[in-house]
Amino acid sequence: MPADQDSIPSTRASRMAALAGAGARVGVNYLRHYGRRAVGGAADRTTLDEANASTVYDTFSRLKGGPLKIAQMLSIDRNLLPAAFRTQFAQAQYSAPPLSYPLVVRTFRREFGKEPLDLFDTFTQSAAHGASIGQVHRATKDGHSYAVKVQYPGVADSLNSDLAVVKPVALQMLGLRDADIEPYFQEVRTRLLEETDYTLELKRSIALSAATAGRIPGLRFPRYYPELSNRRVLTMDWIDGRPLDRFANEETDPERRNAVAQAIWDFYHFQIHELKQFHADPHPGNFLVDAQGDVIVLDFGCTKQIDPQFHRDYFRFLEPGIADDPIAFEAGLRALGILTDADTAQQRKFLMDSAMQGTRLLSRPFHGDTFDFSDETYMASIFELGDEQRKNTDLRSINPARGSTDAIYLNRAYFGLYSLMGLLKATLRTRSPLS
Amino acid sequence: MDRDRVINHYIHTVLETGHPPVTVYAFAKELELGEREFFEHFASLEALEASIWEKAVADTIAKVEAGDDWHGFTAQQKLLSFLYAFCDRLLDQRSFFLARFPRPSKRDSIHHALKPMRHAFTDFAKRFLAAGKEGGEVACRGALTQTYPTVFFGHLLSVIEFNLNDTSSKFERTDAYIEKSVRLAFDVIGTQAVDSAFDLMRFLSGRSWGQTSGH
Repeated sequence: MPADQDSIPSTRASRMAALAGAGARVGVNYLRHYGRRAVGGAADRTTLDEANASTVYDTFSRLKGGPLKIAQMLSIDRNLLPAAFRTQFAQAQYSAPPLSYPLVVRTFRREFGKEPLDLFDTFTQSAAHGASIGQVHRATKDGHSYAVKVQYPGVADSLNSDLAVVKPVALQMLGLRDADIEPYFQEVRTRLLEETDYTLELKRSIALSAATAGRIPGLRFPRYYPELSNRRVLTMDWIDGRPLDRFANEETDPERRNAVAQAIWDFYHFQIHELKQFHADPHPGNFLVDAQGDVIVLDFGCTKQIDPQFHRDYFRFLEPGIADDPIAFEAGLRALGILTDADTAQQRKFLMDSAMQGTRLLSRPFHGDTFDFSDETYMASIFELGDEQRKNTDLRSINPARGSTDAIYLNRAYFGLYSLMGLLKATLRTRSPLS
Repeated sequence: MDRDRVINHYIHTVLETGHPPVTVYAFAKELELGEREFFEHFASLEALEASIWEKAVADTIAKVEAGDDWHGFTAQQKLLSFLYAFCDRLLDQRSFFLARFPRPSKRDSIHHALKPMRHAFTDFAKRFLAAGKEGGEVACRGALTQTYPTVFFGHLLSVIEFNLNDTSSKFERTDAYIEKSVRLAFDVIGTQAVDSAFDLMRFLSGRSWGQTSGH
């Protein structure tokens, strides 16, 4: 864990210093690794990755806003990071340092012209929990409990300088290429700018929860309060519950775990196939499970529309047997822009092979009526596939900036969803959405 | 003749004409006031202006100290409350501050214009720092601790400068600057990290640098 959450590097220069420090420590870990090998000890690549992951994570979690968001986004894409980095980064949600109470008061004065206690009967001085670009306070009024999310000031303004500072160092530390990571930086920039506007999140939350309400058993949403919200403050019902990862660790009854997992699974497919718009951040911190075992969906900062044409092209890969039909498969890859006419025969073969391997593996849950995500060999083989493709230099030598950027969001949502299902060790009804 | 009326008229004159009045005589005449009456309130136009900066600080202190939560606040929260309230107040006088506040480039020549303001602020700083020392929030570092009020006044000037240069919507970046810089300041004056670093350096250098800790 980070040694000292109270010390936040504040200026751009000290942010640089913090990141450079992490770079140096990663270097030291590498030296130790090779040193151990040189003296004949067992130098295990996993040990090295774990040591590096906690170093990098310590650094990222001391920075807020952009860097933290990048860490979270990278953590969810199984293809980009070794397992050790992912587990460390997945914790980032819970580690943003708090805003002072005077700043919360200031934000209320700035945005409402009133102080928290002018609007509520009670208002906690310290945050109940953190979020990546803000924090949540608990408030009451007329006996009703509210969760009030307050944003860090200046996140939008410092976004570009944050990203400019972080990018070269992140490339170095994580051993990634500029082209691998560029779509993520683009995405982070757009997404963060959207997330800094809580009025947008309010609108989306109300629309998406209204469209979904009552359609998925065991799933519900907090009510949102426009009159108590604005661009920097978002007010919703306070709901008592456990974050999903805590529920997954504590709940011993497989029936209850399965029911929770089924609700989340059905929720995603309802959004993707019927609403054609989805909550693109399936992070365990965005779901609560209440005492009855109902799932509560939080945080609609990150939602994504799906173009119908892209939807057809993408989900063609779920048809059983497509991975064994090279002609149909190649046509599918061309439609998505993953294969282009400029590719050499050798490049095409690499891309075809790795995409077929991936498709066989990733579409497996859809081929039967049910699927058991507690099968650790399945989850492990997904991670291995990611690591293998990441290390494959032939594949990496091909320009990876291919295909629609929509695929980034959808892949991210699916990787996130699968790992949530794995986390819950759930057995699900997964019948193919195309049937 | 009310002192506040003189001040308000002075501000009004500067904002309307873009520069301060040429002489006390001309200014007093506009107010239908004798020079003698003017000098009962202020020794000079410069002193009048200095009192405006002082009043901005003193009024803000009075306002935050009257808040319901004040006595429960830590030293850090007290300073933050003051700075946010000061920026809030600045919204009412922004044009005047932009026109007349001594900016760093020319601060040397008119430094005395800030003396009464500094005095009001450092008195306030001594109060919250003393409370912070009792609460263990501020580490005792002997003579070094005596300089904190002046250092925090320098910080206040940097906040004003940051705010006057801020172009973000609703001056949000100033809020972020205040939050982050005050947190850093309290990290430095509060934690043992600095003391431990000195201790190590002293140990490694192999000789004593004398007492820096004032317990």
